[in-house]
Amino acid sequence: MNFGKKLAALAVAGLALVGTVACSNNSNSSSSSSNKIPKVTKKTTVVFWHGMQGAQEKTLKSLAQDFENKNPKIKIKLEQQGDYDNLQSKITSTLQSPKNLPTITQAYPGWLESAAKNKMLVDLKPYINNKDVGWGSVAASGIKQDMLNGAQIKGTQYGIPFNKSIEVLIYNPKMLKEYGITKVPTTMSEVKKAAQTIYQKSNRKVVGAGFDDLDNYYVLGMKNQGENFSSKIDFTGTKSRKLLNYFINGEKAGYFRMPGSDKYLYIPFTNQKLAMFVTSSSTETWIKQAAKKGFTYEVAARPSKYTMSQGTDIYMFSHASAMQKAAAFKFMKYLSSKDGQIKWAKETGYIPVNETATKSDEYKANKDFKLPAKLEDILNSNSLYSVPVIKDSSATYSQLTPIMQSILSAAQKNRNVEKAITTGKNKFDAAWKQ
Amino acid sequence: MKTNQKKAWFFLAPTIIFVTLFSIYPILRAFGMSFQSGSLIDLRWTGFSNYQYIFKDPEFWLAIKNTVLYAIISVPVGLAISIMLAWIIFDKVKHKSFFETTFFMPYVTSTIAIGIVFRYIFNGDYGMLNFVLRCLHLHAPDWIDDPAMSLTTIIIFGIWSSLAFNIVILMGALRNIDPNFYTIADMFGASGRDKFWRITMPELVPTITFLLTMNVIGAFKIYTSVYALFNGQAGVGNSGTTAVFYIYNKFQIVGTPGVAMAATVVLFLIILFATFLQRKMMKKIGEY
Repeated sequence: MNFGKKLAALAVAGLALVGTVACSNNSNSSSSSSNKIPKVTKKTTVVFWHGMQGAQEKTLKSLAQDFENKNPKIKIKLEQQGDYDNLQSKITSTLQSPKNLPTITQAYPGWLESAAKNKMLVDLKPYINNKDVGWGSVAASGIKQDMLNGAQIKGTQYGIPFNKSIEVLIYNPKMLKEYGITKVPTTMSEVKKAAQTIYQKSNRKVVGAGFDDLDNYYVLGMKNQGENFSSKIDFTGTKSRKLLNYFINGEKAGYFRMPGSDKYLYIPFTNQKLAMFVTSSSTETWIKQAAKKGFTYEVAARPSKYTMSQGTDIYMFSHASAMQKAAAFKFMKYLSSKDGQIKWAKETGYIPVNETATKSDEYKANKDFKLPAKLEDILNSNSLYSVPVIKDSSATYSQLTPIMQSILSAAQKNRNVEKAITTGKNKFDAAWKQ
Repeated sequence: MKTNQKKAWFFLAPTIIFVTLFSIYPILRAFGMSFQSGSLIDLRWTGFSNYQYIFKDPEFWLAIKNTVLYAIISVPVGLAISIMLAWIIFDKVKHKSFFETTFFMPYVTSTIAIGIVFRYIFNGDYGMLNFVLRCLHLHAPDWIDDPAMSLTTIIIFGIWSSLAFNIVILMGALRNIDPNFYTIADMFGASGRDKFWRITMPELVPTITFLLTMNVIGAFKIYTSVYALFNGQAGVGNSGTTAVFYIYNKFQIVGTPGVAMAATVVLFLIILFATFLQRKMMKKIGEY
């Protein structure tokens, strides 16, 4: 019996130990970016978690190799974590044991809100202002200011923009001509008109227009009516209804469509079942892969005042040593520099985060993609918007796609749309109160 | 007696320690976390607010409804078809081992791979299933992209994929029935139906109870097949969401582990209740 008691005591002690270990993770090291940023004098390894695949991963590897050649003391260890969802969940679960975190990671700011709150991220301002590892000042970095602002969490510059894209309108010029659309739509009402014409003239065989990202459709639709994405949005209010009805009417009549289980509209677009669609600029890579010989497409500005600036930034965790942080920042600087961004944009279809890269002839002369020659004009006609980093914004944003899918498929199948909107409102409001 | 007990404790110690650390502790921790809010690195006590949240969340109720309907429909139907097929293979088919192997193959294949193949079979535009239905002049629904069809699609896939394991276990049980029972039944002129209902089925009850328990628990934990069928999401508009999908989403994507753990506790209680109910029921059937 005594032995039994001892064993029970041992089990309790074991539990307590596990509890202590678990709890001790909460009190993590301080985040303050050290005042002295050392020079990289010793062999240093930087671990970088990313979610890039295919051609993007290949280019990233080659950029890391170039960087290592120029900085022989620094080793960049790229660790691919799957797609964005996998990367996000990996970061979320590893935040519990900071020692297992990488030196730097690709991430959306919304994923790291709690990490910033718990001082697990490094404030990069001193690094930007440092002349050795950084540029000396923000202005000297050449990074677009609105993209830098998008990599801030509650006013602190925790991230450096990396792989960015914007929403654009991609269209099939041959089809537009065939169905008598002489002017590429520049407003949402023009999109609707053109889509109706194409659908009718093609005897309902070609859908006029589509929207790839339903979450962006809603967020930008509200922003274009003057409403920022926040819990103050009334999902059944006048502005929201106007936005929903625009798409609902199109789905009911058949001239608009959303993506199905294939997730992306470039498939029906390259199969010539869709004449134009609003999508991420990085979709160009996929269109090029899927399109048959002779298929042509063009890129234009999103037909609205605001467009989405999306894609991730690079963030640094505070547990790393001072030298690792310095080495990591040097790599971040390299990735966002003019040369790094030109190579990155040329091979992946992302847009350069660096102003000088965007304006460079080398970038504009890239004939592999349609966007480079037009990017400057597009950025002049569109203002950039990104999902604000506030409590529950990231969670609510991710709920918008299923909410919109339910509403639009109810419209498509002639079911009760009003019921879907009411359910959508409940889900939308619940998402803001997690 | 005392020495015996000491020795028993000694030999049980590794198991007790492992079970405590890796089974009991996580359950207790999950239960504790269900009363905490904030992110994983910033948990604080919050009382019953997570439970209040999930009970008000329409997504949670949809997840529970889908999971319960899936379990109620797919398990009995899947089991009935399995018994029928196992009986046919056992009683009426030559080259049993060939068919047994064929039926077992889906079990050793990855659910993700099968799910992807089924996604193409079920496709509304170019899927094989709708091609066959159209040839037979039958209505061809949009299995994957219509939210109203999501659950039906998941159930069909669930039934199909449960057959493999069930049939192999049932074949084993059928082989274990004493052949003398049938010989004597034949001597007394029993019909095929009599033999099935009066000999085979009663002899199969323990196996069926086991399969029912396993299938019900498995059905409540459904996740992978939904993920594979709908390309990483829970159907159009999350129409095919299940309890585990909800838990994963809240834990990893939304970053509210407390809410996820509250849902886990509720799911745990539902499974516990369902298993208890079903064991009671099977005990009653066994008594006849």
